[in-house]
Amino acid sequence: WVPVVGLEIHAQISSNSKLFSGSQVQFAAPPNSLVSFFDASLPGTLPVLNRRCVEAAVMTGLALNCSINKKSLFDRKHYFYADLPAGYQITQQRVPIAVNGSLSYSLCVDNKMSQMVTKTVRIKQIQLEQDSGKSLHDDTRSQTLVDLNRAGVGLMEVVMEPDMCCGEEAAAAVRELQLILQTLGSSQAVMAEGQLRVDANVSVHHPGEPYGVRTEVKNINSVRFLAKAVDYEIQRQIEELENGGTILNETRAFDSKLGCTVPMRDKEGKQDYRFMPEPNLPPLILYDAKSLPANMNHQQVVNIDWIHERLPDLPSVKRAKLVEQYGILPEHSFTLL
Amino acid sequence: AALKGGMRFQVSAALREGRVTPTELCQRCLSRIKTTKFLNAYITVAEETALKQAEESEERYRRGQPLGVLDGIPIAVKDNFNTAGIETTCASNMLKGYISPYNATVVQKLLDQGAVLLGKTNLDEFAMGSGSTDGVFGPVRNPWSYSRQYKERSDPKSHSEDEESNWVITGGSSGGSAAAVSSFTCFAALGSDTGGSTRNPAAHCGVVGLKPTYGLISRHGLIPLVNSMDVPGILTRCVDDAAVVLGSLAGHDPKDSTTVQDNFKSFELPNLTDVSKLSIGIPKEYHAPGLSSEILSLWSKAADLFKNAGAKVMEVSLPHTRYSIVCYHVLCTAEVASNMARFDGLEYGHRSGMNKSTEIMYAATRREGFNDVVRGRILSGNYFLLKQNYENYFIKAQKVRRLIADDFVKVFGSGVDILLTPTTLSDAVPYMEFIKEDNRTRSAQDDILTQAANMAGLPAINVPTALSQRGLPVGLQFIGRSFQEKQLLTVAKWFEKQVKFPTIQLEEVKRHNHDISQHQKSASFS
Repeated sequence: WVPVVGLEIHAQISSNSKLFSGSQVQFAAPPNSLVSFFDASLPGTLPVLNRRCVEAAVMTGLALNCSINKKSLFDRKHYFYADLPAGYQITQQRVPIAVNGSLSYSLCVDNKMSQMVTKTVRIKQIQLEQDSGKSLHDDTRSQTLVDLNRAGVGLMEVVMEPDMCCGEEAAAAVRELQLILQTLGSSQAVMAEGQLRVDANVSVHHPGEPYGVRTEVKNINSVRFLAKAVDYEIQRQIEELENGGTILNETRAFDSKLGCTVPMRDKEGKQDYRFMPEPNLPPLILYDAKSLPANMNHQQVVNIDWIHERLPDLPSVKRAKLVEQYGILPEHSFTLL
Repeated sequence: AALKGGMRFQVSAALREGRVTPTELCQRCLSRIKTTKFLNAYITVAEETALKQAEESEERYRRGQPLGVLDGIPIAVKDNFNTAGIETTCASNMLKGYISPYNATVVQKLLDQGAVLLGKTNLDEFAMGSGSTDGVFGPVRNPWSYSRQYKERSDPKSHSEDEESNWVITGGSSGGSAAAVSSFTCFAALGSDTGGSTRNPAAHCGVVGLKPTYGLISRHGLIPLVNSMDVPGILTRCVDDAAVVLGSLAGHDPKDSTTVQDNFKSFELPNLTDVSKLSIGIPKEYHAPGLSSEILSLWSKAADLFKNAGAKVMEVSLPHTRYSIVCYHVLCTAEVASNMARFDGLEYGHRSGMNKSTEIMYAATRREGFNDVVRGRILSGNYFLLKQNYENYFIKAQKVRRLIADDFVKVFGSGVDILLTPTTLSDAVPYMEFIKEDNRTRSAQDDILTQAANMAGLPAINVPTALSQRGLPVGLQFIGRSFQEKQLLTVAKWFEKQVKFPTIQLEEVKRHNHDISQHQKSASFS
């Protein structure tokens, strides 16, 4: 059996204010204390793009070896849910800000720190989108409590192609991504604080045969649990198929107490999100040194080359420098960084 | 007499010279609103705040420091613009009692200029309609229904008893604003224009209705119908006044990312005397099916007027005009379905008592809060946005929209400065006749001459031209190049001067629920 693992990672952008409104971004503030008129979807309010969020996405795209799209677009993704005040999320479905990158990460072979092997996972794309609010279901009182503090916070969704094959690889890739984001400062990427959320897409197939049906695993709260969830799901699928069963294309939640994945509450049928271009936001145009018009100052535009020049050393570079400067073993550089 | 005058040259001068004070002006308008209550033009009258604004204006005039031409001028605003502290309903159950916490940018700009906000005007629910008949507060009546001009020419068999059923519509959806300006309750009003909603009622009510270029005036705070076509509209009694209001509203707004960044240069409207350098285009497709012979004849006379004055007048073609209704239907309903998704009763507005589950609450809230028209458009829009339909409907409609816009580009690129067309197919119809067809049918019929300008984002203006055989106003429309409002208004002003549209002669209407005072008798009518 060949397991296939892809990841969809949502990283909260580290910025003072939200993606399309001026309200503050802050963890654990009193409920509904960081909500602007736009976040609450008051009629007549309009989105205004936060420059810092764009820069964070460009930095991240460059660090992940992506092509930055000089023109990207915003779209509305519609569904009804209590934590989505406007009834739609603003995202980038048609043309995201960055595409076709890669992330290199390293693994210990055979659990010994003595041998490390480097792997690469392709980055399909990075898109900017809004985070939703939070809802708490209080079944005893038959009510739902809604906190919109998080509604509208900027997210970078990083899509990793199904190049990984097990929980360990997925975990290693996510850890490296966390380090990169933290080094850039584009996201604090702490999973426990909800700044990094990972969904895993898992399927299995026989070598030479087409890919199997995949399931999506959500509700993973730490990198350790990510490895567990992925490995459990791979095993579950293998067992199911070997017993003559079939895999449903469904969404499953990871139950950390039981250490297994369970089907999530049934969403009737497949959701049609009725994607539509966001009419209130013009195309996002980014410049580089070549395309920058002569009379524009860099305060008014986002210049990809300018950002590239100011990128800090990424973890992989720092490790290499440590090895070179201090003559330590590569494996040890991974312990340090 | 002060109430009837134009703002720019008459009332403003009177205020500056102290011949009338802002509070007097405000009080007269407020009392006029009371005596014309039967028109149902206003949903909310903000009497207290208006008088307070008038007092503050008066103080400024006393100190000799008025803020500008608009200082102390009473205005009205369509009830789909957010006004802080004043109810904003969109004529819908969904927002009944909704007190907005912020002012729309255009409202704020007017207030910053010292304008006095009298109240919020009536409309079709969420601006969906062409009659101002489909709001929860009832239909708006065209003031011309009560004019001497209309009564003299109407069937002698229909005497005052039938007045109740004979009244004609204002057109829509900004009918309340048009009626408010037309009946002298204010000097200017804000409307909105998505497919003709400012120009249509302007034509039926005999007032100037300006649709500015998309992106010139901020939409922040305008509750959207179609984000890619909506613009704030300006309704006034003369073109000069429209220019004044435009000057105070236009310009980039950081809160609205669809406004252009270029600096807006406000302008004085020149008094054009020589039209010989002007090139007027007459689009043949605007001779639409159903166009009344009366309006056709007026249109032709207008073209001759320009020709005889030395302008170059030529027939042009906008070949994709006939697709605009269907194209508009797809794009409008799609955006409506999206824009209305936020009305779920959770954060604001109506919330149903049926709350067994979130889904049930959403469904009940939306069924209770929206009328048929709104719900119909949401259903259609969602259908067009389904994955399997998106390519064939939405994308196709966007392509057709591009073709329609390109028609104008070609024509303006071939040396034509301004297009001259009718605004409506006929004069205002009686309400009882209008409601025989449903909203969708009416909208499709009535929008045909105005909608393409919204597709293309172009500026357009209705100028009252003449009275119909029935004694009701008929207007003609000028469409200009993007951001060339100065040229558009200059030509409109010249035309306005030539046609000398008559002033409405509003009869005093003896209604059982109105007291008529001596003050009323002397205040307004000639």
